[in-house]
Amino acid sequence: MNARAHDRMNDRIVLENVSKFYGEILGVNRVNLSIPAGITSLVGPNGSGKTTLMNLLTGLVRPSRGQIRVLGYRTDEPEALFNILGYCTQFDAFPKGLTGYQFVYSYLRLGGRDSETAAQLAWRAIERVNLVDAAERNIAGYSKGMRQRIRLAQALAHEPRVLVLDEPLNGLDPLARAEMIALFRAAAAQGCYVIISSHILHEVDVISDRVILLSNGYVVAEGQIQSVRGEIQEHPAQILIRCNRPWELAAKTMESRQTIEVSIHHDERGLLVKTRDADGLYLMLNQIALNGVEIESVAPADDDVNSVYEYLIGNDEAVR
Amino acid sequence: MTELRTRPVIKLWWAQIGSVIRLEMKKTFFAKRGLWVYVLALLPFLLFIAYALGTSHQRQRSAQLALRNEKPLTHQDLQAIKSGMTSEEVVALIGRPPIRFHWTDRRPLAEGGLVDVRHESYHYSDGANDLYLELVDGKVERVNFSEGSNRGEDAIMFAGVFQFFFIRLAVFFGCLGIFMNLFRGEVLDRSLHFYFLAPLRREVLMVGKFLAGLLATCVIFVTSELLQLVAFTWHFTPQARDLYLYHNHGLAHAAAYLGVTVLACLGYGAFFLAAGMLFRNPILPSAAILIWEAVNPFLPPLLKQFSVIYYLKSLCPVSVPTPPGTPPLFALLVSNPDPVSGAVAVVGVVTVALLALYASSFQVRRMEINYTTE
Repeated sequence: MNARAHDRMNDRIVLENVSKFYGEILGVNRVNLSIPAGITSLVGPNGSGKTTLMNLLTGLVRPSRGQIRVLGYRTDEPEALFNILGYCTQFDAFPKGLTGYQFVYSYLRLGGRDSETAAQLAWRAIERVNLVDAAERNIAGYSKGMRQRIRLAQALAHEPRVLVLDEPLNGLDPLARAEMIALFRAAAAQGCYVIISSHILHEVDVISDRVILLSNGYVVAEGQIQSVRGEIQEHPAQILIRCNRPWELAAKTMESRQTIEVSIHHDERGLLVKTRDADGLYLMLNQIALNGVEIESVAPADDDVNSVYEYLIGNDEAVR
Repeated sequence: MTELRTRPVIKLWWAQIGSVIRLEMKKTFFAKRGLWVYVLALLPFLLFIAYALGTSHQRQRSAQLALRNEKPLTHQDLQAIKSGMTSEEVVALIGRPPIRFHWTDRRPLAEGGLVDVRHESYHYSDGANDLYLELVDGKVERVNFSEGSNRGEDAIMFAGVFQFFFIRLAVFFGCLGIFMNLFRGEVLDRSLHFYFLAPLRREVLMVGKFLAGLLATCVIFVTSELLQLVAFTWHFTPQARDLYLYHNHGLAHAAAYLGVTVLACLGYGAFFLAAGMLFRNPILPSAAILIWEAVNPFLPPLLKQFSVIYYLKSLCPVSVPTPPGTPPLFALLVSNPDPVSGAVAVVGVVTVALLALYASSFQVRRMEINYTTE
């Protein structure tokens, strides 16, 4: 390896042909990534391999094949790796009987810091996640959002260069979400590597510099957020219309060039329209309603994120 | 980070081990699922308390009875009474009995008719030992000599309880409960990742957890052993206690029992720590270790050396005799056909423990966090 390639290994998070199998179950397969500083989001539906990839990055699980280097550090040497990396997991269990402060403080002491330094760093991290008032309370009495924040405090406490955050905004109220997003952005602005997993595309859109899209253990798309956003915007909308004369309405909607597909609902009391121009369809429906067709309801049928993933992942070759 | 890098590595490891121990102590001592360990540890103490209370009560009764003798009696005086003596001979030798019952029953004769038979019961005491005599028609028919507490027999009883209940059951299962849970319990509670996310060598974590378990088991079982020793000597008179402790190797025996307890915690602790990391189901390895320890006398000499009980038996200060009529299984457990010297035994237990810890150190490096499969 020449010096330039070596330097590149040391300033990136690199996964080379990484696979992880749990027996016969695929975790992730043949993942090749080179992640620079900034905010990178791992996006994908539940079970797509986001958490496995994060656990691989942090050494909590070992790859079945391939190798991983985090800024040049091996992931099977936690004594070195976790000096530069903080991981906020989704595991919602804590050592028993600890207060929020003790949880963060003990973590720092485990790293070998003296009592005074650990106390200072612990309070600083707790302040950053805005949990000072509850810090002396037992974690067992925390709400879901507070537990999420104290885990974030633990990940941030030793001021790592790499932050790996598994669904970090889960359970947070809108104000806390905004605070955390600002915190991640500030860390990225200082040159940190922030890797966030999420299954909420809208959230990713707001936070990330780049996105890695995962599906069934494979990386199906990787790149700047704008390209993925474009794909989302081009995604045809599906609209469910409940009415008394679905066959007549189907014929009318098919007249539009933006309509891709129409199917009659199995109870013959409605139809599903796939269109590239949802706003145009709504206008057309207003006119049809004036001509005697009784429209009971109009509702988007693909608001859930999985349909968007389906669209993106179904066209993975194009996205690549 | 600079501070950490420049810190001598051994000092750093000790600081980290200290942190692990502090975190583990609360969990180990106050875990609800570990309460049965305390019960197990206290059972022999309660047994000796009951024994001491019974013996003290008996001695008080004997002392009060001795005050009512016509003349002071000795152990030899009481033992001089034999079957066949007349009541007059008995009274001549040891005086009138302080407690005496009599009753008459009517027995049929071979030639017909009935005859009255006079029964008497005499009870003497020298203050420590009691003599019960049964007389029929004025002659001693049965002599029952009840010795008070006998320190020799008491010491053998203590050794029996120590070897067969305390070490083989209480310490064994106590170590199982505490050491198996050091890693296994955290996996079940889904909290092991807390340690695995710290900049801490996995081997250092393992040593920290092992020392925390060792500290906890030593505190629990050494305290229990001390309480047992106190309860065991509690019913001794002050003179008898001084004699036992300072002139009859009592203190040396106590030190040996405490040392064996610590070594048992060390040896079994290392075994169960390894078992808890290697196996998901603790029942199978526990049963295997229990059987391995039980069949130790049958094992070839080389394999015997990989057993904890093999060394502990050699370190026990009082051996338990197996008189004729002892059940074969009990005799087998007691027997120690190839005892080793004290130094070899200590080195042996420590070596077995280190081997188990060495095996654990490989496993802890390979451990993954995958709670969903547990």
